[in-house]
Order: sequence, then structure tokens, then C-alpha cells
Amino acid sequence: MSFFKVDNLHIDLVEFQLRKVSFRLDQGDYMMIIGPTGAGKTILLESIVGFWKPEKGRIWLEDVEITPVPPERRKIGIVYQDYALIPHFTVFENIAYGLKKKTKYGISESVKDIAASLNIDHLLHRKPGTLSGGEQQRVALARSLVVEPKLLLMDEPFSALDPKTRRETRHLLLDVLKRRKTTVIHISHDLNDAWALANKLAIFRDGFLLQFGTIDEVFRRPQSRFIADFVGASLLDGTVLANGSGPCIIDVGDFQLLSTDYADEGSQVQVALRPEDIIVSKKYPSSISAQNIIRTKLKRLVPEGRASFLHLIANETELTVLVTNNAVTQLGVSPGDTIYAIIKSANVRIVGS
Amino acid sequence: MQKINVFRFSLTAVTFFITLLLVLAIGSLFVVPSLEDIRQNIWSPEMRFSLKLSLITGLTSTVLVMIFALPIGYTLSRFNFWGKGFVKTIIDMPIAFPELVLGLCLLLLFGNTAVGNLLSSAGLNFVFTKKGIVAAQFFTALPYAIRIMKSTFDYINPRIEFVSRSLGYSMFETFMNISLPLAKNGTLASTVISFARCIGTFGTVLILAGGSYMRTEVLPITLYLNISYGNMGMALTSGIVLMVVPFIAIFIFEKAEVSI
Repeated sequence: MSFFKVDNLHIDLVEFQLRKVSFRLDQGDYMMIIGPTGAGKTILLESIVGFWKPEKGRIWLEDVEITPVPPERRKIGIVYQDYALIPHFTVFENIAYGLKKKTKYGISESVKDIAASLNIDHLLHRKPGTLSGGEQQRVALARSLVVEPKLLLMDEPFSALDPKTRRETRHLLLDVLKRRKTTVIHISHDLNDAWALANKLAIFRDGFLLQFGTIDEVFRRPQSRFIADFVGASLLDGTVLANGSGPCIIDVGDFQLLSTDYADEGSQVQVALRPEDIIVSKKYPSSISAQNIIRTKLKRLVPEGRASFLHLIANETELTVLVTNNAVTQLGVSPGDTIYAIIKSANVRIVGS
Repeated sequence: MQKINVFRFSLTAVTFFITLLLVLAIGSLFVVPSLEDIRQNIWSPEMRFSLKLSLITGLTSTVLVMIFALPIGYTLSRFNFWGKGFVKTIIDMPIAFPELVLGLCLLLLFGNTAVGNLLSSAGLNFVFTKKGIVAAQFFTALPYAIRIMKSTFDYINPRIEFVSRSLGYSMFETFMNISLPLAKNGTLASTVISFARCIGTFGTVLILAGGSYMRTEVLPITLYLNISYGNMGMALTSGIVLMVVPFIAIFIFEKAEVSI
């Protein structure tokens, strides 16, 4: 029993392919799909709506198999990056278009209601061509949401918007979705979208679903170096030295790490570290609860917005740490300085062998 | 003073030279005959017959052409199917064919063959008849109309159709609500071009329908017959009438702002 299920989906179009894609969603889930261009993400959405016939595999919605059902009867909405508004319809007619097929009554009220919650009620008489990108995208969202789809699919809905509009649209969307408890699958290039909106995360590459899980799982336990790079974590190869009653000890070459995770003694594992889970100190911290204290050198300092990435190096092993710019000023560090990296053993995650 | 660029100057000169020749050629059609001649010729029974037949067959063929060009253009633009490359090549072929050869092919098909006999028994005899004029014009103009319709649909974002379907509309409803209204300009252009093409078709009509005086005589046939009799006045008048149609056609085409 699950609300939405994709099972072993294979799609073969000339330019794009999908292979062995399986996942499940519960009602109200917000799934973010992330992956490089050409990974087959759009094809996945368009197959879920029903525009492409899968070579193999099945799709279920509310325990009914919808693989043979035509798109117009699936009750799944789609929103595109280029909005795909109907140019010869006004904003009102665009939003009302799907409703007209469903019902004869209360169309005007429903349109005005959704338009008000997305701040486009003053634009209803205009043609889409006269609107800004952000406004057009809100019209597209309204058009899909007003028919109350069981599942809403969004293909990079914010990537044509400037950062400020993007934040505002995100907030408006989240408000509306919460009220309607819509289940969503959303493709994005922006990890901030994932943090702000989603509870499930899927990573795609070359037509394969590499990893699927809660946001926390994927960000903290990336299953491969590719995913780790994508979500900004460091991944270290190591050997489990001991695993007794205490924490697991892993040798990663240049130093050892203690982890609360379990792995068989002597096995080859990978260890994932999040840049925001590492604390830095200029002096050796003598009395501290954290189990891992690693002596490193600061290689580079890369500012990024309100925070900075510190690239630390311990012999040959590199660690990336995220700290606020405030902290950088207080520490007063510069490249070449000795720095101690402090990691709680609960934040050292064994991701597979 | 700006230095004259020789390259730019020569290219512009060539362009103007050819334009001038064309203007003179077109102009001579209007200058050579006297107005009185034209007036008399237009009201002659032969010209009235020919003009009327041209308009009736031209309009009929254009309607038929569009009835086929819309679905075929949409099919070629939107669907992938086995043998699509072959279909496209064959449909485009009459554009490169000499009209006379196309007429000959149609004459052979509609003549004493299984297909021809079947159609004849259904009352559709295309050989040396007025129906043959329509058939000849239809096959000559159709590839142009299909090309314009295909490129018109190519320019319509298929995602708008996808969204329409996800909102509960079937493929047919989506075609009627979205694709067809968005293809309005292209359809207009395609209709105009087809009509001009139908009115001007000579070779195909001559071979399939035969150029017989006051029977299957459309405007280009009138021009041809009168030139062969040495009746310059009538030939020139039909030439002028034939000029007016493409002029109007191209004017509307430019207004519709679509490209082939």
C-alpha cells in the first residue's frame, strides 16, 4: 500500500532513456529530483503524466495501475519551466481551462480563490504574453493546482526566475500546497529548492535512479562519490579497524575516525561527512565531547554568500567545512594556518561497503 | 566622404539589375495591350468561361487540399511512426517533379487501371474532365500546403498540448482547442498559397484534364491556347488575370508573417 508507486520503469526514446526506475511516495510527500542535464528527469515526469509509453514497468496511483490510462484521465498535473501557457487565452481562461472540463459551477470563484492565494488576482484579464516570468509561472501553477490534481509534477519551475522572485514563488507555492496536501514531484537544479520544499530526494544520472530517500538520508549518507559531490558532502574511503562495544573505528589513510554507525571489522567502507557538521578550532581543544579531532592545514578559503567553505588538508586527505563569515573573521585564519577539525562520531556516517 | 565598398556595390548592383528586368517583364504585360482590348477580352465568352472554371476548380481544390494538409501536417509534425521518412519523401516529391511528369503519372493511374476503373465506377472519372482539373490542382498544391502546415505546427510548443491533456482534454479536444487556433496564421497562409498554386497549375492540368477549348479550359490553358493561335490580346488578358491572384496571395502571406 502506497499512494504512488513506480515499479521497474524502462523508457526508450531516441535521445533519452530511463532504466529500472522504482520508487514509492506517500500522500503529501514532496519529492525533489536532482541530476545533471540529460539524466532523463523530464522523460520520467512525462511518462508519469502519460505522454510516453514505457517499454517495461508499471505505475500505480492510489493502488490503481495507471500505466494504460491516457493522460486526460490520470488526474496528474504538470508545470513546465517555460510555463506553456495558452497564448490566445487570458490569464482567467488559462486557469479556468481545466476546471471547465470538470464542472460547470463555481468556476469563477475557484479561479479567483487560487489567483488570490498566488497573488495574481489583479492579472486575470491580461494575456500571458504581457506578464513577467514570475507572474507567468504563478499562472501556470494556478492552472495546475485549481483542478486539485492527485499528483503535481513540476519540471524546473523556478529555473527561469531571478533569485528574489524564486524565493517569493517558493513561499507562495509552499503555502498553497500545505493547505491542499498535494503530493508533488519536482525537478530542480537548485539544492536550495530541495531544502526549502522537499522531504524526499532522488538523484538521477544517465537514466538511472541512483539514490532515493528522505532529504536527510541522501544529504548525510550519499551512496556514491557522484551523489556526494552533487549534494556537497565529502566521501572518504576507509577500512574498519575495530567494531566492538564502543564506536566503530575507521582508518581512512591519513587519520582514523570514530563513528556510531555499525560495519563489519576489516570491511572496506565509505564515510560521508557534511561540511556543516564539522567544527574548526585554531587551538587543540583539550576537553571536548567530540571524538574526532584532526590536525589539518587550511588550503583555501572560498566565500559563498553569508558563509565560507574552508578546504582543509590532512596530509593528502581533503575535508570541506562550512562556517559563517562571522566565524572566519573571529578565527582570523588564513591559508597555511594549522586548524583542528572537530567531528562528532554521530556525524561520521558509514554509507556502504 | 565615405569610401565606396566595391564588394557591397557590385552585389547591390546585381540585385537591382535583376529586379529591374523583372519589373520591365511584368510591366510589359500591362503596357502592350490597350485598355479597350483588355475590357473586350475579359467579357468574351471564352474568358468568362475560363475565369469561372478557374475560380470554381481553384476554390474546390483549395478546400480539399486544406482538408488533407491540416491532418497530414499535424501528423508529420507531432507523431513518430514506422516509415515516416519514406512518407515525407514521397509527399514532398511533387515539389521537385516537373508538373508535366506529375500529370502523366496521374493520367496513367486514373486511366485504364484497377484504381482508375474503380474510381470511374464510383462516378469519379478524372481523365479529360473538369474533375480531372481539380485532381491535377489538388496534387500539385498539396505538398506546399503540407509543408507550411507542418512547419506551423512545429512552431507550436508541444508542452501546451501536453498540459491541456493533463487537464482532462483528449487528443482531439486538445487539437481543436489549442493546436488549431494557434495555427491560425499558418493555415491562412497555407490556404492562400494553395489557391494561388491551384489557379496557376498548367502542366498537370494539361496532361490529366486535357486543354480542350471551352471544356477543360482554365486560365493558364486559355493563355496557352491563345498564344498558339497567335491571339495575343486574349493571351495577355489571361496573363494579367493570372498575375492578380498571386499578387493578392503574396500580400496576404506577408501579412500573416509565417515562413515556409
